[in-house]
Amino acid sequence: MGGVLVRPIILTVCIYLFLKFIVPILPHSAPLPSSLIFLYLMLVMSGSVLFATLSGESKDAFFQPILRFLTGESGGALSSARYLVLALFPILVGWQTYGSTASSDAPPAENRTIHPAPPGEYTGLSNPVPKTPENIMYGKGLYASRCAPCHGNFDGKGFASAGFTPPPANFKDPTTIAMLQESYLFWRIKKGGVGLPVEGMPWKTAMPRWELEMSDEDIWKVIMGEYDGAGQKPRTWDESE
Amino acid sequence: MARVRRPGAKWWVAAVSVVGLCLTLELPAAYSQQSVAVRAGLVKGTLPADDPTAAAWATAPTSEFPLSPQVHWPVRITEVTAKTVKVRGLHDGTTVAILLEYQDPTEDPDDAAALEFMVGDTKAHFAHGQPMAQVEGGPVNIWYWKNKDGKGSDLGAKGFGTLKPHSHQDVKAKGVYQGGAWKVVFSRPLSTEHVAEDTQFKPGEFGSIAFAVWDGKKMDSGQPKEKGSEKAISSWWYFRADAPPDYSPYLYALLAVGLALGFEMALVRRLKKGS
Ligand code: HEC
Repeated sequence: MGGVLVRPIILTVCIYLFLKFIVPILPHSAPLPSSLIFLYLMLVMSGSVLFATLSGESKDAFFQPILRFLTGESGGALSSARYLVLALFPILVGWQTYGSTASSDAPPAENRTIHPAPPGEYTGLSNPVPKTPENIMYGKGLYASRCAPCHGNFDGKGFASAGFTPPPANFKDPTTIAMLQESYLFWRIKKGGVGLPVEGMPWKTAMPRWELEMSDEDIWKVIMGEYDGAGQKPRTWDESE
Repeated sequence: MARVRRPGAKWWVAAVSVVGLCLTLELPAAYSQQSVAVRAGLVKGTLPADDPTAAAWATAPTSEFPLSPQVHWPVRITEVTAKTVKVRGLHDGTTVAILLEYQDPTEDPDDAAALEFMVGDTKAHFAHGQPMAQVEGGPVNIWYWKNKDGKGSDLGAKGFGTLKPHSHQDVKAKGVYQGGAWKVVFSRPLSTEHVAEDTQFKPGEFGSIAFAVWDGKKMDSGQPKEKGSEKAISSWWYFRADAPPDYSPYLYALLAVGLALGFEMALVRRLKKGS
């Protein structure tokens, strides 16, 4: 008798689980706000009702069990479930109302874009410094003295990293330099955190503006040292776009 | 399962469990509060604005923030004394007081601490409001305390090398050294007339706050261990002076519960009549 309700319920549960747990772990995504999840679930549910009630027959099949359940005709184990549902509904409505009217105690949500587009002049540059063992060594030396205090052993856990939010990037993580071009790194290192556009929240980042202290050539060398030390390869120009 | 006689029943049990599950999953998210913000609660009695050891501070929740040696811009420092700072806030509707607490094994005349805020709605970089390439930045307001001064200073900056005292000194500060730790309380009226220089606190609204601490211990060179840009720092966190309690959401919720109950009862009655 409840058979016709099985699919909508399973669908709703699956979509909830997907939105709540799968979406956040997809690349380039973030946890969805509860209000959005709620909205999606409402859409799915109303869609199911619409679908189930398209024809007169399916309408009866859909509503009959609900009707019997609500009026308490089903009896048995269902009648206690009935009280539960009858009690839960107002509580949910109250909870939702409270949630949407109470002022939040949490600070504003931050949607910082980690890899915003670089200014035009920093796209497609290639590293002019020959990739010799000496240059890589030299770059690693620069890294050790200038970058390691924050970025540590390429893992973002330098001795000076603790006080900074956002934290210094972890270069071993596949979502940082491994998916970026050398050209992008050149921009990020040269202009630093303060070079980011507004969606990168430049006022928060501790990444120094190295153009004030390093020559372009040294920046290209430190990029080599960084990739080599982190065991990563830059994304090449042809792969993108 | 054995007790569920009707085939349809288990789906309702499932539905109810799902709703329960959703609620239990959402609840902790609503209530977990890591230290990403300092919240200054509203006090009824006197604000302990010049007493870092007052009992009233125990009622304020403590937030703790890690500090880094300042390695962001020259002159850098690689090792600092203060590793974290504990922060509490209270306000009485007109004045806000913020208490910093941090470990420091020695009391020295050059020991110092500071709070930093953005001014107005314009974003400012946490490092003294240094210029940003693509965003028009604003100034920062810095509240500074130094042990040997015995008072607070109200400073402003917009970029490195621009730090200077405000023409209006609205900030008070007092430090007490106890058992290897400093307790420093800063206070200022929630709002001032100098909106272009001073940060303004609107109860209920989050703003930004950052921290700095200097260990003024004298080295063999005769210089303090930490001074100027050689200090322990944090980047931006959030600060809020809480608004007075607002009970209207409870009322709205109660009203909604009443309406939902009424709707439910009417529906069931209607259905019973119909069948
Ligand atoms: C004061 C700490 C600090 C130092 C020193 C520092 N960085 Fe950073 N760096 C950060 C922080 C914080 C971020 C993350 C925020 C951001 O992207 O601006 C970052 C981000 C980066 C990124 C962007 C990674 C990405 O996935 O977008 C690169 C590349 C980088 N740093 C390279 C360097 C290099 C090379 C040096 C040394 C020449 C260096 N950093 C020194 C703090 C630091």
